[in-house]
Amino acid sequence: MKKLSLRLRLMILFIGFSCLIWAAAGIICWQESKEKIDEFFDSYQMLLARQMASADWSHISPQTQNITNKIIKNIRNADDEDEAIGFAVFNAGGQMIFHDNENGKDFSFSTETGSFEKQRVDGEWWRVVRVKSVDGKFYIAVGQELDYRSDITMDMVEEFLAPWLGGLLFLLLLTIFIISKEFSPLKKLASDLENREQDDLSALQTDGIPSEVRPMIAAINRRMAQIDDLLKRERSFISDSAHELRTPLTALKIQLEVLELAGNDEKMRNEAIQKLNLGIERSTRLVEQLLALSRLESNQTQNETYEQIDWADIVKQVEEEYAAAAKEKGIVFKNKTGSDSVISSANPVLCALMMRNLVDNAVKYSPKDAVVKIEINENKIRVVNSGTKVAPEHLKRLSERFFRPAGQKESGSGLGLAIVSRIAGLYGCDLHFANTSGGFEVKIEKAVSHLVS
Amino acid sequence: MRILLIEDDRLIGDGLKTGLEKLGFAVDWFTDGLEGEEALMQAPYEAVVLDLGLPGQDGLTVLKNWRNRGRNEPVLVLTAQGDVDQRIIGLNSGADDYLGKPFALREVQARLNALIRRQNGQNNPLITYKNITFNPQTLKVTADGKEIVLSPKETALLKLLLMNKNKVLSKETIENKIYSWEEEVSSNAVEVHVHHLRKKLGKDIVKTINKIGYILGEE
Repeated sequence: MKKLSLRLRLMILFIGFSCLIWAAAGIICWQESKEKIDEFFDSYQMLLARQMASADWSHISPQTQNITNKIIKNIRNADDEDEAIGFAVFNAGGQMIFHDNENGKDFSFSTETGSFEKQRVDGEWWRVVRVKSVDGKFYIAVGQELDYRSDITMDMVEEFLAPWLGGLLFLLLLTIFIISKEFSPLKKLASDLENREQDDLSALQTDGIPSEVRPMIAAINRRMAQIDDLLKRERSFISDSAHELRTPLTALKIQLEVLELAGNDEKMRNEAIQKLNLGIERSTRLVEQLLALSRLESNQTQNETYEQIDWADIVKQVEEEYAAAAKEKGIVFKNKTGSDSVISSANPVLCALMMRNLVDNAVKYSPKDAVVKIEINENKIRVVNSGTKVAPEHLKRLSERFFRPAGQKESGSGLGLAIVSRIAGLYGCDLHFANTSGGFEVKIEKAVSHLVS
Repeated sequence: MRILLIEDDRLIGDGLKTGLEKLGFAVDWFTDGLEGEEALMQAPYEAVVLDLGLPGQDGLTVLKNWRNRGRNEPVLVLTAQGDVDQRIIGLNSGADDYLGKPFALREVQARLNALIRRQNGQNNPLITYKNITFNPQTLKVTADGKEIVLSPKETALLKLLLMNKNKVLSKETIENKIYSWEEEVSSNAVEVHVHHLRKKLGKDIVKTINKIGYILGEE
């Protein structure tokens, strides 16, 4: 389920609780008022009953009612205040001898005195109290209609709560306004992000952003900078790769045209086909190397498991792989692989890839009858090929991707040493190149920063 | 049409040499900038195809050195660097045309033909002489509208003569212009080609001038 926005939730919660509290206050107020009013009217009723109880009722009989009715009527006219009070007087025999000529005449008789009771009179609910007259011969009942009490209570509550209701409305409007205002920088931020150009990875502005959110914005900005950096590297990698693919593609295209031109010339055709094959092999190798490097650059290998590396086995396999090429040039391998290595725990696939690239270079760029020495121990991995020298100005650039000194007779991607360098880097090592008396040397050693730490 | 090709990539160089030769050019191929630069001084080339990334000496320097030494052979520059700046630098250094990789052999041929034509002050891509028409791009020769089939060397010789109308060309010049370094040239090769041309295109097409050489047109 989609979560409502924080702003909306705050508003709904705040408004909801305000209303709830207001309603509770209203209910409490109504109950309190009702109690107080009940108390007030009960005492009033009791007072009236007591006063009537002290009167002398011995001369009153049902026959005198007509006279008293007139008096009561006059009193009522004189005073419009109708408090819905009714009363009746009974003699000990239960006969009504006097009433108020209104609801009182329907009051029932009971000898139960002193307590209030709810009674249905002429279809309405009444609260009735009874007392015995002072001389003990009569019973007086005084009652009040409950609806009247309720009306009075409601009037009071309304009067109390009306200003509160206004206050509540004002409070709610204020809440909506304040929350909207406080959230506006966040809203603006969101719309800025929404309306951004797809590749715009510049930092978000933190002006006016509350300090609670600022660490989040800072984190987003850091992430965006990282993504920006990654994208730039990817883009340059892609453009470099496309650029590097132009040369083998040109070769393929031209050789294909030569093949077309060859017509019936068998020799020319066969040569062109052979060159096409070479070109395709070269392109394939370039693409493979590109993939390997791209995986290394995007750190896809980071989470791979580490294994104990058997360098002797790896060297043996790579030597076998290159045995034919080496034999053709009269190249001899000499290898001194110790039991311990500078890279002892690593991904074996990457280690083999590294060794293959080193041996591939050594075999390719060695002159005839050269010696390729492979030395592995706890301090270094070293591959030396005799008879080769690399121009000093090129030494530093050898591990740059796509760097190849111009005019190589051997085909290559210019990525081999870049790959070796990346893999060495993964395992905390540096790659060094040197022209030594023994030939061209490639050395992998623990990086200095790693030794210090 | 002898062309100097300086390209260090084996497959591209080989393809260009084989292909252009099949298309009637004589091609000398060098992979080193220094050797290539010197080669231009050693033989009469109609045009140069020059790669920029070269060992020994980079292509731009080679080009500048030639222009400084007063060489004005048309130069077609090949490069993987497709950006505009690089092209401008190339053209300002004396290049006559530019091709970015990947390019097609046919385009190299077309551009070379155009460069050579322009060098000879000619605008029409078809070369005509009397009843003969020659198309340098398709290498087709027609006489009175009928196609005449010529061997590659005969085509090269006819093209050379057509482009040097009314000029006497010595046997040695012709040999140098239609054969590359590594091709074996027999002592009577030019005579044989001339003989074949006369047979196919008519006796008067080429005149022999007093043992000095050959001419197409009037002296």
